[in-house]
Amino acid sequence: MKFRHNIMIFFADLYRVWRRELRLVFRDEGVVIFFFVLCAAYPILYSLIYNTEAAHDIAVVVVDNDRSAMSRQFARDIDATSEVAIVQYAADMQEARTMMMEKLCYGVVLFPAGFERDIISGAQGHVSLYCDMGALMRYKQMLMALTAVQMKTGNGMMADKIKVFTNSEGAVIESKQVAIGNTAMGLASALLPCVLVLILQQSMLLGIGMLRGGGRERRLKNRGYDPMDVGAAVVPTILGRAICHWMLYLIPTIYVLYFVPVMFDFPLNGNIMDIAVMVIPFLLASSLMGQTISVFVNDRESVFITVVFTSLIFVFLTGISWPRHAMSPFWTMVGNAIPSTWACNAYVMMQTGGSTLEQLKESHILLWAHVAIYFVLACLVEKLLFRPRYRRMQQYAKDDPDALLREEYRRNAVDEL
Amino acid sequence: MNIFGYIRESLKRGLVAIVRRQIFWIAMILVPIATAWFLLDLMKGGVPICTPVGIVDLDDSPTSRSIFRNLNALKEVDINARYANYQEALRGLQEGKIMGFFFIPEGMEERALSGQQPHVSFYINYAYYVSASFQYRAFKTISVLSNAAIARTVMRTLGMTDRQAMAVLQPVVTHTHGLNNPWTNYSYYLNLSFIPCFLALMIMLTTAFSIGTELKYGTCRQWIQSANGSIELAVAGKLLPQTLIFCAVGWFIQFMMYRIYWLPLNCSPWHMILAMALFVLANQSFALFILCAVPNFRLGSTLCSLVAMLSFSICGFSLPSEAMYPWISILGYVVPMRYYLLLSIDQALNGIPLYYSRLYYAALLAFTLLPWTMMWRLKRECNNPIYVP
Repeated sequence: MKFRHNIMIFFADLYRVWRRELRLVFRDEGVVIFFFVLCAAYPILYSLIYNTEAAHDIAVVVVDNDRSAMSRQFARDIDATSEVAIVQYAADMQEARTMMMEKLCYGVVLFPAGFERDIISGAQGHVSLYCDMGALMRYKQMLMALTAVQMKTGNGMMADKIKVFTNSEGAVIESKQVAIGNTAMGLASALLPCVLVLILQQSMLLGIGMLRGGGRERRLKNRGYDPMDVGAAVVPTILGRAICHWMLYLIPTIYVLYFVPVMFDFPLNGNIMDIAVMVIPFLLASSLMGQTISVFVNDRESVFITVVFTSLIFVFLTGISWPRHAMSPFWTMVGNAIPSTWACNAYVMMQTGGSTLEQLKESHILLWAHVAIYFVLACLVEKLLFRPRYRRMQQYAKDDPDALLREEYRRNAVDEL
Repeated sequence: MNIFGYIRESLKRGLVAIVRRQIFWIAMILVPIATAWFLLDLMKGGVPICTPVGIVDLDDSPTSRSIFRNLNALKEVDINARYANYQEALRGLQEGKIMGFFFIPEGMEERALSGQQPHVSFYINYAYYVSASFQYRAFKTISVLSNAAIARTVMRTLGMTDRQAMAVLQPVVTHTHGLNNPWTNYSYYLNLSFIPCFLALMIMLTTAFSIGTELKYGTCRQWIQSANGSIELAVAGKLLPQTLIFCAVGWFIQFMMYRIYWLPLNCSPWHMILAMALFVLANQSFALFILCAVPNFRLGSTLCSLVAMLSFSICGFSLPSEAMYPWISILGYVVPMRYYLLLSIDQALNGIPLYYSRLYYAALLAFTLLPWTMMWRLKRECNNPIYVP
């Protein structure tokens, strides 16, 4: 009988916490901005920045010390690639270097004297490319263009010579590259799927931090009591909030993970149901992690300082930029402790590689493990840090009603008003 | 009180707040240094080696086995699985065990020797862009090398010397010189931009926070009064102590970058030391300008973090700005980060004469002048503070 009564109380508490959290979210303009406006606007902004995928027509200068038909043809072929555009012929390397320093070009192609003579006489002709390394993408594109032209020229000449013997054209073994998932081989399709998942987690952390900061500020003004607190036990409080955040994120999640990729034509090879099943524990884990780390947030606005910078750290920990297999064990371990690491990689693998949930069951299980671990952590933080802190505030306020606010002013270097 | 008294009062107010609130210590010292260490330590290898890849060898001939051995000897990739067929390899890729695989079809050697041009293919998961680029390099190298090995054997039997054979196989040789970073060290490239960007983020947020708290608690009228009603003096008193701390932290981060992790520093160190001081001032001023335009704690902080986060992407160090939509790349020009980045590429990486970077120094200096045009708005807000939660 007693047990049944406790269960009833538990669910009643859960419901009250859930309803109150819902009200707190919609009453707070800042939280609404984080939860909904940020999720709506950021994916679009990022997609627009990277939507062109790759750099084309990178400015390159030619220094032609050979001035032969062959070197001119080679230069024309480079110009014809989509990656590189030849903007100028320079008289010598000194002039080309000056143009590079003035940012008129990002690369120099040099044909040494005797380029054509060497090739015709049966030796190898040499071409040099000098690239600015400020942005690796320019280097990569220039290299790709030059290699393509080299192959084309070389294969043409080789075919003429060895056709006599081998009766074939081109290389002995042909090779071709097949890009999986990200067929455009561009930055947007590589980076954005990961960033999309991360936006969900980070906006949630920001919103939850702001809600907790708001709660503390209400206590400052009300002698340590929060008029919006429903007075539930620890477990239903944490769980009720988590369910509320999870529910609020359903629509933003569908928008961010499904409609944004459709709008910008990102890879969409995943099964929607698989992604949905993967996202359920991810959102819960994010909410519980948010409730854990909100212990670092005192004011509503200090959430900017404590949470915003973590977004990029988390991006790097997912391994989308610097691969995870090349990280030191320490950073791999840190990455393992963040829900986004597993969710981002799973989402990327599903959308680009077409993986199924069954193939990624390890990530899925780990995300549920995150839910469990962060649930325990959030409960501990609530029980051992938040509630004693509130009790202390009430104690101070009992002796002196203005003590809390005065302390706040004191910390802002205002000793008397 | 004379003017020096007011200056002393303003500075004291700025300093005391820093000392009494631990969040300032976190934001100004801990986070910038910790993030710099994180990025430098994460990529200290320079080049991601041993990307896990697979191989599908349907030929199983001496040639295909030598491809396998040669591929495994390259430092870029590490063959950690041999698959029986394409489907199995694809499954391995989808499960995340490998990031790409090399496919050798049946009868490859036989067809190569009889001049029928077999195709080998490499399947690479381009969702992981950096490791994909290095995989491509390894796979391409191997296919070119094995091509040459077979063809050279054929040509030797025809009586050609090795030199003649090479000229037939590869009539044009290309030499690529990545200036000042010939190793394509990823850390040299990425950390040059990302570490200062983190610092810029923290400078902007701290500036917004320290002025925002005055607005929030309604103490800003007193703040102005303690500076004799001069908003300029009040702001200077509040921000100058932070400028000094941020400069010190910035110089320490530069020391970490250029002397502990040995990123290239091809100019006189003074060029970068000066640039860091201007960079700190430019970011503080930029944040101040935003707060003058939007004198509200939360909105100001939101704008500052939005701008700072976007500057990671929009300055054009991952995707060059000339490749973006023109109307987006313009946004890159309005953040101080872009000028510091171009300056450090010019000076630290390429070490070209200071003359060519003059405009970037001037741009950073110009940011410092920006907020003085809008200061009256902040003053008006401070005299009638309204806190919007």
